[in-house]
This record gives sequence, structure tokens and C-alpha cells, in this order.
Amino acid sequence: MRILIRNCASAFAALALGAGLALAAPESDPMKALAGLPAGNNPLDPMTALMARSDEGADAESNAELGGLPDGPGAEDTYYQCVACHSTEIIKQQRVTDHRWDELWTWMVEAQGMVEPDDKTKKVILTYLKENFSSER
Amino acid sequence: MSQQACNTVATHDGDTPDEARRRFLRTTGLSALGAMLGMTIPFERNLPSGVIPVALAQDTGMDLMSGKTGLVVLGDRPLNAEVPAHLLDDDITPYEYLFVRMNGLVPQTALDQNAEGWSLTIDGEVENPLELTIDDLKSRFENVTRRLVIECGGNGRAYFQPGTSGNQWTVGAVGCPEWTGVRLSDVLKEAGLKKTAVYTGHYSNDVHLSGDEEKVVISRGAPIEKVMEGDSIIAWAMNGEPLSALHGFPLRVIVPGYPASASQKYLTRIWIRDKEHDGAKMTGDSYRIPAYPVAPGTEVPESDMVVLTNMPVKSIVTFPQTGTEVKAGEQVEVRGHAWCGKGDVSAMHVSIDFGQTWQEATLEPAANRFAWQRWRANLTPPQHGYYEVWARATDQDGISQPPQSPVWNPRGYANNIQHRIALVAVV
Repeated sequence: MRILIRNCASAFAALALGAGLALAAPESDPMKALAGLPAGNNPLDPMTALMARSDEGADAESNAELGGLPDGPGAEDTYYQCVACHSTEIIKQQRVTDHRWDELWTWMVEAQGMVEPDDKTKKVILTYLKENFSSER
Repeated sequence: MSQQACNTVATHDGDTPDEARRRFLRTTGLSALGAMLGMTIPFERNLPSGVIPVALAQDTGMDLMSGKTGLVVLGDRPLNAEVPAHLLDDDITPYEYLFVRMNGLVPQTALDQNAEGWSLTIDGEVENPLELTIDDLKSRFENVTRRLVIECGGNGRAYFQPGTSGNQWTVGAVGCPEWTGVRLSDVLKEAGLKKTAVYTGHYSNDVHLSGDEEKVVISRGAPIEKVMEGDSIIAWAMNGEPLSALHGFPLRVIVPGYPASASQKYLTRIWIRDKEHDGAKMTGDSYRIPAYPVAPGTEVPESDMVVLTNMPVKSIVTFPQTGTEVKAGEQVEVRGHAWCGKGDVSAMHVSIDFGQTWQEATLEPAANRFAWQRWRANLTPPQHGYYEVWARATDQDGISQPPQSPVWNPRGYANNIQHRIALVAVV
């Protein structure tokens, strides 16, 4: 069994592998996920405070011509690549790790029949997705 | 070449090629073109000059949203929409308040409500493969009508930290309509299950997002022991009406207790497998969870992911709507529904002090197994101020909903975090 850990202390890896207990690093503190929730939560709907953090109102303007994707390097390539199958709404909902974006790309190509662009365009698109729809930054 | 192709779509004088392309794409539907050409990038270079596609993509179903009320559309292609909790107050969820979860596009037969010549194939590990018309189903098997909860496996995904990929459902990808059909177990008995039968594999005639007619949109299933329990049905009606285009016309499976992706819409075939079904979205990370608990954000190897089966115990507050103003010192009725993938819920509790103390709510019996159960509690905010009502259901094994998201999983399934609403008590 192989297990990869991102954003977690190696202690968790040790736990998962049954190698015994170890002290978790500070960034693995589960209370951290509860702290510093984004301003602008709606107290009249307490579920909003529990949602995955999103960087709404971040720097980049959303571009109506590109299905509301935020402007930036790769926005246009991303738009044309993705909307052949699905609308931008599903993209805009995501806040995931870089690793997950790589896996999603592979899944779309292998399981969903997405036509891959050339390597340069692929890199531009994945960089754009990781920059704009991330749980890591 | 590219420049030339762009020029052919420059129908507005003075447009730059780029503007012309965008105008063209806006007005014709880029996705449809992509599907037609089987191409994405660089898509505009491949557009045959002068060709305006007539057969635009199969319908997403978005136009049918006019028959729904108050739903939050998470995405328009594929169409996915959930229901604010306060609109789920009915004991039997009406059509207008049932969530929509599409993996692909709505088939033409469903849009036309045309089931002429429809047949359902039962084959694979059976003694007598069956080809059944809808009339055969209605006449040869006992008809049953049941309230059955369907809940998207990803309902509650929005509450996982860090975020997980997929539609960010909050609490409203669930409903409990009344379905009419036949027991799946009766049909399988008639087909005669071989000893090698292990799993069902469901197929339908919906259309892949890519427009590729060869591609299966989704094909999931359930273990034979689960479907032979007799709760799973093949349904042709919901709330006394033929199934609608968005919910599976003319036939669908309902496998209550399982993620609703097992409840295949637009059903054409049930393939009885001699192993765990490996159709589209049965494998990889789809509707799978780690075989052991993992820390949030862990990347789990595919070989350690197992199929999600029973959905966990869960409840929602459907009345009052969150943010409602009430009178301090006066009793207010709070109510909702509770359900569990294993069957009946055994207890329901509410708290108005952030989980420090809990009050038992009354819990009505289910109309039938796997129907959601009505709960009610009378609460009195002791003084003016801000209150949250937290709701917690407990299943028959004593397992309750957690106040925070349960164990994290890479695709964000089966989140049964307690639902909370706000009440503002005024003097």
C-alpha cells in the first residue's frame, strides 16, 4: 500500500501505515480548519460558515465573455477547452488541490473522452485552473 | 489557415477575427460545435467555412427548469440544481422541489415523453434473459407505490475542508417523492438469478456531454443482496405522474439508501454481473471512499478506494426558514425530516445552544421503509438574541450526525454534518 500525503504531517502517513503514533505537525491541527473563516459569512444561514473556503472577491475580474471565468493568463484557452463538454459553472465551484486538478485532467481524457490539446496549452490551462480554483493558495 | 477560417465567420463588418469568433460562438453554442466536431482546441480553426450547425447539442434540460421553483442551479451543462432546505418541508416532495442531478444530457425520448417501443433488457447472469415492455412490467408484476428518499452521494460536499471536486452541493440534493413501479427483486426472480450473480449494472439512453453516442454517461449498480431485499424498484411514475424528462422518463431504478447515482434514470438494461459492476462512474474515484479513515487532503491510491454503499443517517430543518425572526420567550415549532441509508432513524434531537444541551424531538414513523421521517420540536428562545438550531438524527445502531463534517474523502461523498438554521429572537 502506498499513500501520498499533501498538506498533512508525515505523522498521519505513519498512522495510516500502522507504523505507530507520532506528533502531528502544527499544520495538521484539525482546529485550524475551523479558524479564520472568511469574512462575509451570512450569520442568518449558519451553514455558510462551514463551507470550503473560497476566494470570492479575489483580484481577478470574472469575464462574462468567458463564462464568468476570472481573467488571467490561460483564461481563454481554458474556456475553449472546457466548454466543448460542460459549462464553466462546474469549474467555478472547485477549490481543490493541484494534485486533484492533475487527476481530473487525466480522468477527463481517459474516461470522458476529452481531446487533449498540445502540451504547451495543457500546461497553460492546468496552471490557470490551479491558480484560480485552488484549496492550496 | 487559422486566419482564413476565422475570416469566414466574420459576419459583422469591422469585427476583428477574434471579436467575430466570439460573437459567432456566443450565438451558436460553442459546446455544441465542439461536440459536433469532436474537437476542442483550436476549435475555431476547424470550423468549416459557412457551416452553421443545425443539430445543436442534445438538450441540457435547462429549459425544463421553468417547471421547478426556487432551486439553486449549480451548473447548466450538465444540469445540476439543489433545493433550499425550507422548500423541502413537504412529506412527499413535489416535482417542483425535487433536485436535479444530470451526468449527461437529456435523451430525446424523455424530452418528447415518447416511450413507444421502449424495452427493458434483463440479461447477464440469469437463466431467462428478459425483454420487457413497460406494459409487461405493469401487468406481469405486482405494482407498488412507495415514498423513497433519493439523495445525491455528494450532498453536503460543500462542507468538506479542504474542498473536494464536483458539484458543491450544500443540503438540498435530496428528496422523498412517491414512486410507483415494480420490485426489482420480482423482476430478477422471473429472470432467474444464477448462482454467479453478484451485482447489477444499469444502463440508459442518455447522451454523453461530449456528444459521442458511443460513450456511456453513467452506469452504476448495486449488490444483488441489496436489490433482492425488495425495497428497490423499477419505477415509471413519480407522485402519480409519468416520470418527467429530468427524472428519468420512462423508466428508472430506485435503490433507496444508496447514493442516488445507483438509481439509474432512462433505464434500458439491467446487466446482471458476476462481479462488482465496473461501468462508467463505478470505478476510479467516482462514488468511492477510502477503505480506511484519512486525514483531510490525503491523496489516496485508487486501489484503496471502495464503493460507497449506504448513505449515512441525516436530517434537515425545513421549517422555519433560516434567518427567521421569532419572539423571545415564546414557543416556536421547528420541524424537518430525517432519513438513513440503513432504514429507519431511531431518534432525533435539536439544540439551540450550539450543541451544549440537546432536546429530544418527536419522530414520526416512516410511511414505509426508506421514506424520510417527520420530526418536530417546540423550542423557546429564553431571551432576545441570536440562536442557531442544530439538528441531529441517530440511526438504529446509535450512530449520530456529527457537528462537523465527517471523515474527509477525496471526492467529498456522504457528508452528514448536522444542519443548522439561525433564529433571531426579538422582544
